[in-house]
Amino acid sequence: MSGHNESILREPLITGNDITYAKITDDILMPVENKPNRAWWIGFIVSLMGATLWLVAVSYTFWNGIGAWGLNKTVGWAWDITGFVWWVGIGHAGTLISAVLLLFRQNWRNSINRSAEAMTIFAVICAATYVVSHMGRPWLAYWVLPLPNQFGSLWVNFNSPLVWDMFAISTYFSVSLLFWYTGLLPDIATIRDRATGLRRRIYSIFSFGWSGNVKTWQRFETVSLILAGISTPLVLSVHTIVSMDFATSVIPGWHTTIFPPYFVAGAIFSGFAMVLTLLLVARKVLGLENYITMFHIESMNKIIILTGSIVGVAYITEFFIAWYSGSEYEAYAFINRSTGPYWWAYWMMMTCNVISPQLLWFKKIRLSIPATWILSIVVNIGMWFERFVIIVTSLHRDYLPSSWAMFYPTWVDVSVFVGSIGVFFTLFLLFLRVLPSIAIAEVKLLLKTSSEQAKLAQIKEGHLDKVHVKEYVESLEKFDSVKQEEYAKI
Amino acid sequence: MESNKKYWKGLEEFNKTSDFVENNKNEFAEPLPIEDVLNEAGLSTVTPRRDFLKALGFGLGAVTLAACQPAPIHKSIPYLIKPEEVIPGIPNYYVSSYNGQSILVKTREGRPIKIEPNPNSGEFNCGTDAQAQASVLDLYDVSKLKAPVLKNDETTWAKVDAFVAAELAKAKASGKKIRIISSSVYSPSTKAVVADFTAAYPTTKHVQYDAVSYTGIIKANENSFGKAVIPKYNFDKADLIVSFAADFLGTWISGEEYTAQYVSNRNNKSLAKGKMSRHFQFEAGMSLTGTNADTRIPVKISEQGPALITLYNEITGGSLAGGSLPKNPTAEKAIKLMAKELVQQKGKALVVCGSNDVSTQILVNAINSAIGSYGTTIDLDNPNKRYSGNDAEFAEFLNEMNRGEIAAVFFLDSNPAYDVINVKSFTDGLSKVPLKVSFSDRKDETSTLCDVIAANQNYLESWGDANSYEGSYSIVQPTINPVFNSRQAEQSLLIWSNAPVKDYYQYVRNNWEKNILPVLGKTWNEVLQTGVFASAPKTAGSYTFNLSLAAVAPSVVKSSSALAKDIELQVYESVAMRDGRHANNAFLQELPDPVSKVTWDNYIALAPKFAESLGIKEFDVVDVKGNNGYTVTLPVLVQPGQAQGTASIALGYGRTKVGKAGDNVGKNAYPFVSFSNGTLQYATTITITKTGATNELAQTQTHHSFEGRNIIREATFKEYVKNPAAGTGKHDSEHKTYDLWDKYEKPGNNWVMAIDLNACTGCGSCIVACNVENNIPVVGRDEVRRRREMHWIRIDRYYSFEEGDKSVSEEKEIAHMENLDRVSVVHQPMLCQHCDHAPCETVCPVLATTHSSDGLNHMAYNRCVGTRYCANNCPYKVRRFNWFNYWNDSRFDNYLNNEFTQLVLNPDVTTRSRGVMEKCSMCIQRIQAGKLSAKIAKRPLKDGDIKMACQEACSANAIIFGDGNDPESEVSKALRSERVYYVLEEINTQPGVGYMTKIRNTDSLPTVQA
Repeated sequence: MSGHNESILREPLITGNDITYAKITDDILMPVENKPNRAWWIGFIVSLMGATLWLVAVSYTFWNGIGAWGLNKTVGWAWDITGFVWWVGIGHAGTLISAVLLLFRQNWRNSINRSAEAMTIFAVICAATYVVSHMGRPWLAYWVLPLPNQFGSLWVNFNSPLVWDMFAISTYFSVSLLFWYTGLLPDIATIRDRATGLRRRIYSIFSFGWSGNVKTWQRFETVSLILAGISTPLVLSVHTIVSMDFATSVIPGWHTTIFPPYFVAGAIFSGFAMVLTLLLVARKVLGLENYITMFHIESMNKIIILTGSIVGVAYITEFFIAWYSGSEYEAYAFINRSTGPYWWAYWMMMTCNVISPQLLWFKKIRLSIPATWILSIVVNIGMWFERFVIIVTSLHRDYLPSSWAMFYPTWVDVSVFVGSIGVFFTLFLLFLRVLPSIAIAEVKLLLKTSSEQAKLAQIKEGHLDKVHVKEYVESLEKFDSVKQEEYAKI
Repeated sequence: MESNKKYWKGLEEFNKTSDFVENNKNEFAEPLPIEDVLNEAGLSTVTPRRDFLKALGFGLGAVTLAACQPAPIHKSIPYLIKPEEVIPGIPNYYVSSYNGQSILVKTREGRPIKIEPNPNSGEFNCGTDAQAQASVLDLYDVSKLKAPVLKNDETTWAKVDAFVAAELAKAKASGKKIRIISSSVYSPSTKAVVADFTAAYPTTKHVQYDAVSYTGIIKANENSFGKAVIPKYNFDKADLIVSFAADFLGTWISGEEYTAQYVSNRNNKSLAKGKMSRHFQFEAGMSLTGTNADTRIPVKISEQGPALITLYNEITGGSLAGGSLPKNPTAEKAIKLMAKELVQQKGKALVVCGSNDVSTQILVNAINSAIGSYGTTIDLDNPNKRYSGNDAEFAEFLNEMNRGEIAAVFFLDSNPAYDVINVKSFTDGLSKVPLKVSFSDRKDETSTLCDVIAANQNYLESWGDANSYEGSYSIVQPTINPVFNSRQAEQSLLIWSNAPVKDYYQYVRNNWEKNILPVLGKTWNEVLQTGVFASAPKTAGSYTFNLSLAAVAPSVVKSSSALAKDIELQVYESVAMRDGRHANNAFLQELPDPVSKVTWDNYIALAPKFAESLGIKEFDVVDVKGNNGYTVTLPVLVQPGQAQGTASIALGYGRTKVGKAGDNVGKNAYPFVSFSNGTLQYATTITITKTGATNELAQTQTHHSFEGRNIIREATFKEYVKNPAAGTGKHDSEHKTYDLWDKYEKPGNNWVMAIDLNACTGCGSCIVACNVENNIPVVGRDEVRRRREMHWIRIDRYYSFEEGDKSVSEEKEIAHMENLDRVSVVHQPMLCQHCDHAPCETVCPVLATTHSSDGLNHMAYNRCVGTRYCANNCPYKVRRFNWFNYWNDSRFDNYLNNEFTQLVLNPDVTTRSRGVMEKCSMCIQRIQAGKLSAKIAKRPLKDGDIKMACQEACSANAIIFGDGNDPESEVSKALRSERVYYVLEEINTQPGVGYMTKIRNTDSLPTVQA
């Protein structure tokens, strides 16, 4: 029928029967308002053990010196900066989801942005611990900040990518935290309103006196948009700057102009993989399948295949340029990557990052939860190896063969990394317990109740074309599993 | 009687008012404000009583606790009466002598901290070796004895003297023999003391032996020319040098001196005159000298004799039997060609041989005589006096002991229980000696077996002298009061022989004034100031060898053929550890072997293909069994250039009682040495069995080829003569370079350095000099294995292999080569290049490393937070990170973790804490000192005022430092040489250190390459 201006029907973003605002609130606050289940406890205890391991390993390092790690005169960075870049990269998906997708009005993001952003914050915390702990004299870490000081007019070196890094990471952390917390305000207020006693007092403080009046909501929307606008460039800039730690150096294998876009793509790639790893488990354990639907999973899988392919093209381009540049050091660095003593790391990276994500071209695999979950972990393993390959295989054989050396991690290297995963999960599991893992207020926007009721009224009044009505009713049943009559009851 | 008056305190009491009576029943007459205090308002007053008490209690406790912590006590004791010559902060220098090297001892506030070559010693100034540089640490060795020892207990000198005097009296009465066992003594005063002692006890004999013996040469010269001496070799007068297994640039007789001579014909100055000597080396193990040879041909130990016979036959046209090398056609061909050249170069050639076999050395004498070396390149009339050991006399001493003929034995500067070839025979014999005295400074292998350890002094605490060459005399003077209750051995001997002059200083002085000063025409004070003098050398006579070789050649053939079975083993002195007497010196233990780059261990070196044929891989631990049954377990090092079918093991390791740094490092190889034909032989045959274990050696370099990169640039001498810039990669038209960065202004000085790759032999004494000068920590074997050695200057050693006409330096091609015997080696000293566009400077987040206006790359330790980014971004990998607090961490207690040894630290250079980056500072403290002294003298800096520690130590003068802004400075001249190139100049780091191409004089022997 011509003339009707209704948008194409989409799959609903929230599935399930009898979805009401109240049900959404109940569903999402279930883990916050009830005692944790057994799955949570198991996860928490394991994570806490990991966090303890981290504490032990980092304390050991602080007590004895960086020599506790396996680094040497040739390889000055290895698992530390690998871990740092890995964690920063993981954080990127959160910002992309919460900011970029908001600006693009991708409403499906509303179900996942809260957890993804929490993940960003915890990942950046993990990354920041590496920034400090890899220093020889961590107690002087504040010297990299351009603080007024008593050393005379002693400033930081604004030429140094590490200083840019410090700005990038701290900006990133503050903006992400602000954005995340702003989004949390109405939800905290919701918890406050439902809670009693001490809980009410605590949530009351943290809700900053949210009143829920129109003016508040309007300001909330405005602030969200502004913060999204600020965060968006950060998605690109932070990992660009991290990549400059390498790109501005003279080391063959680091000194590459392709790094900024390649790192950003890689970051989003690994970030989405981490979001999937976390949410696939969380939705099951917390019973949030109706909010984090197959649609979300498939969308994220599509992003993974896109960014994974970008990364793959970048790998191949690097190789081509190594040959095409005619620089013997560069050429050797890449031949050494793929065939040298660390060939296994390189091929691990290639397999995990370029080859295995191609499986996601199959819809069946995109829609399979176990396959997606396994692939998401494979991608993160691959991305860890990517950073390891870039850092260690470039450093261990650079210009003067006399200094070529191998890097062997110690138990401390391994423990700091494994422990940082423990820290991350500890924080994440605590987050699940005290804050809503899905943005309640934003998800409620997705509920089409009012528009559906208006539609019902229109149909009743007989204003609409019959063919169109039929198509509409069928699609409701097909996609939303909702009988039209059910709207009448609301 | 009620005598006490009652005083009332107030009218209330006097009147006994009811209020008063009521209140007086209570303990406190007036109501206490308890309620007020305990109610809410009272508790929130600023300091309630209880809080005050708490605070008081806490404060007391805290103060008590704080007081319990021992506050660091800095022992700085001011001079009660300030010595006139000591100004705190200003070093004093004293001339002295160490192992034949004329040195300056730098002392600060009364403690010696650095050894430098004596610049006033004229022709005797030939740098210092690693041992001399490291020797300052021996003074501060905590493993030394703090008092003399009598029967294993520390005691007083009076008791020792009484005991020894009584025992000596008994010995004298018994008429039995007394022996003084020492390594070679070349001090005239010590010799006089021994003579005095012998006069007092006429049965005394002084037996000299050296763990690494030169008896063969002495006996051969006695046989050939009637002169039992080691001649003076003039490598500087030789245009053609042929060495058969003599490591004359390293350990053979007088390495530093020979290095200076050798390099004078090969360095940039010589090349600029179009002159370069040629050097052939025939040897089994890869020696430091072998790595510098123009042509090095691996020959088995058993082939060295036949090779010499071949050479003799070729030169003289003689027909001695045994002169063929059926299994080594390359060597045979080379010798034939070389023989022609030797004849052509008559009078300008020199053949040396490292063998200690008398017959072999007689044969060498015959060859040298035939090519006219005597009187030109060999000087028998001004002989070297450093070594006078007699292996046979020492062997006889062992027999005398075992026969019980000896009443007293004194061990001076010798340690036979460690380095004798048959320890059991020595210890059995020693147990039969009634009086055993050692002059060791520690409880070592021998001294623990002795009744008395008359703790000797370090040479820096001693008086003495040296007569290294005929007619040349140098002085040894103390630079510090004896630190412990030790006494110089000579003084002990004087006391025990009841000499008229018992003070050794007076004795030395008397001896000089009577015997030496009149010859030199100098005064005592001049000697103390200048250190070394020589009387006019005698004219070197031309000697001709005209004895029959009829008996000699068969003897050579016989001893050679005895080795030609199983695997031939050569034991040798390593450049760092020498004969093992310095085993407790951590600087030397961590000095990488110049060839293998191994630290803290010895190993068995096998050729790559040979090891492969035995099914042995690098670092496999094997049992090495000598033909005398002695077995050691050692890891294998695959050594390119090692002759097939041979193995090499370094001496000087496996000390068991030397101190905490040196105990049980490596394995003792002395028992492989054998005694035959009156001399010690340093070769034997062995069998090797795998143990299945592996032991990774701690190497400072693990990749050995330079992968065809132009970091090493070389040319042949022929190419050089055609075009001095050959091999540097310079083009006629300089291409334009572009720059992101601003140019630094260098208004005053521009400190730069030039390094001549053709002069550097790779000996490594610069490394030790730098360690001592800059307080560089020794990190120990495990840390070196983790590739964390801290050396600011290192010597990169690269192998390349010749195949046909081309040189192969890439690992993947080397892996496919059939023949790895033709090795070329290059040594490249590598230190901070002080780049003008330093990659390290841009990346440091805190500006801890910055550029100075005089061209240096500075490192501010206090500002460093330790991100290690600078080290990662350094293309030369010269930055060193303090992974731990090495100098003050008990896990790395190799030497420095005690207050006494810390006295060796240079007070001008701070020790670095953990977590801080460090690197070559271009001896910034020396630059500063030089500038200041010029300023005080109100004159501009002169070229040569400031010398780097590495530069000073270098015997080869391979390192030149100076002001690049001064066009007339040595370094500017050197850097204008056509040979100069900069390592990695293509990445535009603009280094401040220029290198000169390695030139090899290989052209005229194209056909040798069989």
